[in-house]
Amino acid sequence: MGEYIIEMLNITKIFPGIVANDNITLKLKKGEIHALLGENGAGKSTLMSILFGLYQPDSGEIRKNGKVVQINNPNDANDLGIGMVHQHFKLVDIFTVLENIILGVEPNRMGFIQKEEARKKVVELSEKYGLKVDPDAYVEDITVGMQQRVEILKMLYRDNEILIFDEPTAVLTPQEIRELLQIMKGFAKEGKSILFISHKLNEIMEVADRCTVLRKGKCIGTVNVKDTTKEELSRMMVGRDISFKVDKKERKPGDVVLSVKNLNVVSKTHGKNLVKDVSFDVRAGEIVCLAGIDGNGQREIVNAITGLEKPTSGTIILCGHDITKASIRERSIRGISHIPEDRHKHGLVLDYKLEENLVLQRYWQREFQNRGFIKFDSVRKYAEKLIDKFDIRSGQGPITITRSMSGGNQQKAIIAREIDKDHELLIAVQPTRGLDVGAIEYIHKQLISRRDAGKAVLLVSLELDEVMDISDRILVIYEGEIVGELDPKTTTVEELGLYMSGAKRDNVKEINDGREE
Amino acid sequence: MKKLVSITLVMVLLAISLTGCGGADGNQSSSESYEIVLITDKGNIDDKSFNQGSWEGVVEFATKEGISHHYIKPEEASDAGYLAAIDLAVQGGAKVIVTPGFLFEVPIFEAQSKYPDVKFILLDGAPHDPDYTDFTIKENVASIMYAEEQSGYLAGYAAVMDGMTKLGFMGGMAVPAVQAFGYGYLQGAEDAAKELGLPDGSIEVIYHYTGNFEENDTNKATARTMYQEGVEVIFACGGSVGKSVMSAASEAGAKVIGVDVDQRYDSETVITSATKGLAASVIQVLESIYKTDSWDQYGGKTTYFNAANDGVGLPTEVIGDENADAFDRFEQFTREQYEEIYAKLVDGTITPIRSIEVADPSGYATAEELTEGLNLVKVKVTTR
Amino acid sequence: MEGKNNIYNDNKFNIRNMMNKGILSSFFSALVAVFLGLIIGFFVMLIALPANALIGFRHIIVGGLNRIGDVFYYATPILMTGLSVGFANKMGLFNIGASGQYTMGMYFALYVAFMWDLPDSIHWIVACLAGFVGGMIWGAIPGIFKAFLNVNEVITSIMFNYIGMYLVDMLIQGNSAMYVSDKTRTQYIPAEVQMPSLGIPNSNVNLGIILAILIGILLYIVLQKTIFGYELKATGFNRFASEYAGMKGKRNIIITMAIAGGLSGLGGAFGILAPSGIAGSSMTYEPINIIAPAGFNGIAVALLGNSHPIGIIFSAIFISYIQRGGTLASLAGYKPEIIDIVIAVIIYFSAFANIMNTAILGFIVRHFGKGRKSGNTLANDDIKEAE
Repeated sequence: MGEYIIEMLNITKIFPGIVANDNITLKLKKGEIHALLGENGAGKSTLMSILFGLYQPDSGEIRKNGKVVQINNPNDANDLGIGMVHQHFKLVDIFTVLENIILGVEPNRMGFIQKEEARKKVVELSEKYGLKVDPDAYVEDITVGMQQRVEILKMLYRDNEILIFDEPTAVLTPQEIRELLQIMKGFAKEGKSILFISHKLNEIMEVADRCTVLRKGKCIGTVNVKDTTKEELSRMMVGRDISFKVDKKERKPGDVVLSVKNLNVVSKTHGKNLVKDVSFDVRAGEIVCLAGIDGNGQREIVNAITGLEKPTSGTIILCGHDITKASIRERSIRGISHIPEDRHKHGLVLDYKLEENLVLQRYWQREFQNRGFIKFDSVRKYAEKLIDKFDIRSGQGPITITRSMSGGNQQKAIIAREIDKDHELLIAVQPTRGLDVGAIEYIHKQLISRRDAGKAVLLVSLELDEVMDISDRILVIYEGEIVGELDPKTTTVEELGLYMSGAKRDNVKEINDGREE
Repeated sequence: MKKLVSITLVMVLLAISLTGCGGADGNQSSSESYEIVLITDKGNIDDKSFNQGSWEGVVEFATKEGISHHYIKPEEASDAGYLAAIDLAVQGGAKVIVTPGFLFEVPIFEAQSKYPDVKFILLDGAPHDPDYTDFTIKENVASIMYAEEQSGYLAGYAAVMDGMTKLGFMGGMAVPAVQAFGYGYLQGAEDAAKELGLPDGSIEVIYHYTGNFEENDTNKATARTMYQEGVEVIFACGGSVGKSVMSAASEAGAKVIGVDVDQRYDSETVITSATKGLAASVIQVLESIYKTDSWDQYGGKTTYFNAANDGVGLPTEVIGDENADAFDRFEQFTREQYEEIYAKLVDGTITPIRSIEVADPSGYATAEELTEGLNLVKVKVTTR
Repeated sequence: MEGKNNIYNDNKFNIRNMMNKGILSSFFSALVAVFLGLIIGFFVMLIALPANALIGFRHIIVGGLNRIGDVFYYATPILMTGLSVGFANKMGLFNIGASGQYTMGMYFALYVAFMWDLPDSIHWIVACLAGFVGGMIWGAIPGIFKAFLNVNEVITSIMFNYIGMYLVDMLIQGNSAMYVSDKTRTQYIPAEVQMPSLGIPNSNVNLGIILAILIGILLYIVLQKTIFGYELKATGFNRFASEYAGMKGKRNIIITMAIAGGLSGLGGAFGILAPSGIAGSSMTYEPINIIAPAGFNGIAVALLGNSHPIGIIFSAIFISYIQRGGTLASLAGYKPEIIDIVIAVIIYFSAFANIMNTAILGFIVRHFGKGRKSGNTLANDDIKEAE
């Protein structure tokens, strides 16, 4: 059995109410890129957490080079040469790149850190693998893509030979994704073994040698990637056929629901204009997508519309009412539903039960309260209705603590809540981030159903495919300005990419002004 | 709810351990008994004042005689709390209970009937009922009072005779003992100025109550300001207030007069102390019980400790050095002068006023009230 | 293995299920924490006075049983301040100003007791309400600063401890109807204004404890059943989400701090209006510039009770129980300071319950190899999203 560097044999792991891993066997060859594919909640992260020592399996064993090993914590994993890039990076913001890389394994002489020694090694590694980083930049100042490279360098610096990537492409731009995949191939060529967690079939098809598919905690099988197809893999993952094409009928937009005029937002921290004189309309029955690379002002525009942040100037009109100065609650009552970008920070009270989260926007309504007392039976009934209608899965139903639910189901809960509430405008910010194909398909269907029901939808997305597939109109934002308005039917991904990177721009003001006249 | 469950179970555990221990230990409920017990008031045992002074007396006597002794801190600084502490002491086998301070007046009034077989030594107070209608002192209670005004008188007299003309007084709170010290201090200064033939108003005294008995920055700042204004010596008369004053004095290179006990050992700045013999009086009363069998001398009445029975005064000896001069920190004032004036207090030639009418509810006298009430001529007093 | 899994999932009353629900682990942890505290406390006593350690320790553990009245009496003020701190904590506010609010409550209650002429039957009730109002004012001000100027409530409420204490000392010393300067304390409160005693001999235990427990239950209902409680907890758990949901954060901060202050103030009123075992006497306030310790004890009570109103009721009684037993340890010759140390050690370790939780589970995991790792203590997103 010498060909396998890591073998996870018959791993079983049980959490309250759910069997996360049910007798799963995974064998990793030396020098291969092995993809681990599965929907959210399929057990991928649990399995990798077991390998990385964060959890102990209830049964089963792990072997390295044929020998049984015990991995009690991440330090054990590191000693065995196992490194992991987490989905949420584990970096210290106020440290430099170099300091982060050597954190915990600082080379020292009599207690004094030998930074130069470390720097030499880091620079060597970064040149060897084409991982461009500035060792002296502070982590809080660098892009997400660069932060990921820091995480990768951390593994290399520790001489890890088994590299786990947990959904590494979720946060990257298309260009960065291409680079990362190249780097991964380079590692494999060097003889390092890679475990690549993903649910993006294109990427798996591109880089992986073999792929193990998990579904609902069970291992469906391991296949050679070159002998299979995307359709085959998705069938294994979801258990049914998935349509990659979004089914969308033509629909004529109605009245203007949201009108943003000359919106400016000035940053509180450095005083620069994050949103510069932005104007646009969203009409009933259309999906308008605000496309752009992360951090170009989308967040601020959405916050200004939803009331989370005060704009410096400009007006926001919803269904004919000026809501520029309205409270968040008033905007909600007037018809704004908001699927926030960060579901943990804004969208949910994670320590609340699912049912309590499902009424987060409505608990004060007559339906759920009587003289200040919450009508828990109504809440329960309503929660059960939404859980049923939107297929929200959890260990204990309405009384599940939201924190214990999988990301996809947390997102479903938010979507259920926001869609079921009376609304004229649905604002969805990166609604599919970090979700699997099944969930993405579902969410896209929901967004389109809103549009078809005659509601206005404002979508903020970083995913080019998503932007192209479901929007009726694309507004491209670059450095706080709208630099182009595109029709997805007549434009290409490449052109969209040029606008997003600032390489191309139209005078959109003219476009807007022209239309208004 | 889970906390509820868990704590209930903890209670059960405690109950189980009760039965367990009970079985193991057998009949030991009587514990040990302590014959002389001191109960502290709201302060700590090391308060440099009543608690400490009287405890030192208890320890000195009981150690020498080999009598078991102990102190208890009440659970609550209220009449009922003090009485409960007395109950506890009696339960622990106390035969003599020492209670320092007037806060014990009401509790002792209750206790003297409740425990007729226990002897109580009440310092600086006399028992009475809560309504101030019944002042009965039963046979088992010795009420001890001190003539603080005499002690203060000696301090003020010594300071002026030593050549100082700008004096300060920092009392704690305006309780009778502190007031008496202060009034005596002013009168002593007045008489010394007269004796020296100084003109009217030539002695300036800044008179101040801190409103607490604490060592804190405010008190230190107050003292520092006084010294900066030219005050040569401050009579620090309020428990731990003295520590603040000493600290300010050592920074300013100025002098302090201590209180209650001889504080020369606490700081070089202390030239003398207006003492009252807390420890000495406790020892005297204890001796009457255990050695001379003359409890009648103190029981059932209030005894004043004053110059006549060596109950108050300035220190005349330095502990640990028989030949040392306790007056060495004065520039001019000598032991002879002290003994001369002390004799006048003993024979009654001089009787300082102990209390005057004060209008303010806090008990803080105004400069006018002090001047009028104490007949001050040579001394010009300002309050703050 | 399969069979075992079934047992775990099917049987509602097995150990694993209980652990999963947190009942057993919470019970275990509290138990072990208290037990460990007792053991270490015992060692302290052993060092201080070896010969009497057993007797003294027995007093601490079971002495309270003979003094149930006092246990409840002394639990009253710390229960109120504990509820105050715990309630604010539910909203993510740290009310360290319970002492100042407590003192204000005492003053307002005293003022009504001495200065207002009211019928006997309602005088004490009005005095208690006044105490509530006094504490409320003193709690609301830091709340207002927090809400409108974003001044950290910890700083303001600490300062308000001092401001309140000095202000009350000054006001009392300046009022001859209330203050006896000879004795540095307030006048005796007329018996009619004192809280009705529960009539347990040798104890001042009074209606206050019953009211305090009822208030604890009321707070539990408010937190669990009302819109206000829902908003308050949501804000405490996740400020951003509550803002996103359009809750009026500023208003809620002020209301929460006002209620928390009111609870402490009521504690002050209960404390000062308690009846005295000596006829004609009463509790008194001494304006000697000392910050009321009940406020700080309230923090310990709230933490030990996990900020849960019902938990706080029990933790206040537990702390009072241990203290009452501790006082009796002086019968075994222990100095008050040593007893204070022992009690502090016991309470200190009892507050380790949450750590114990992790430690015990870790122990089980190591020794039985298949327990649940204490995932609930790791606040780690990608672990939480256990797939």
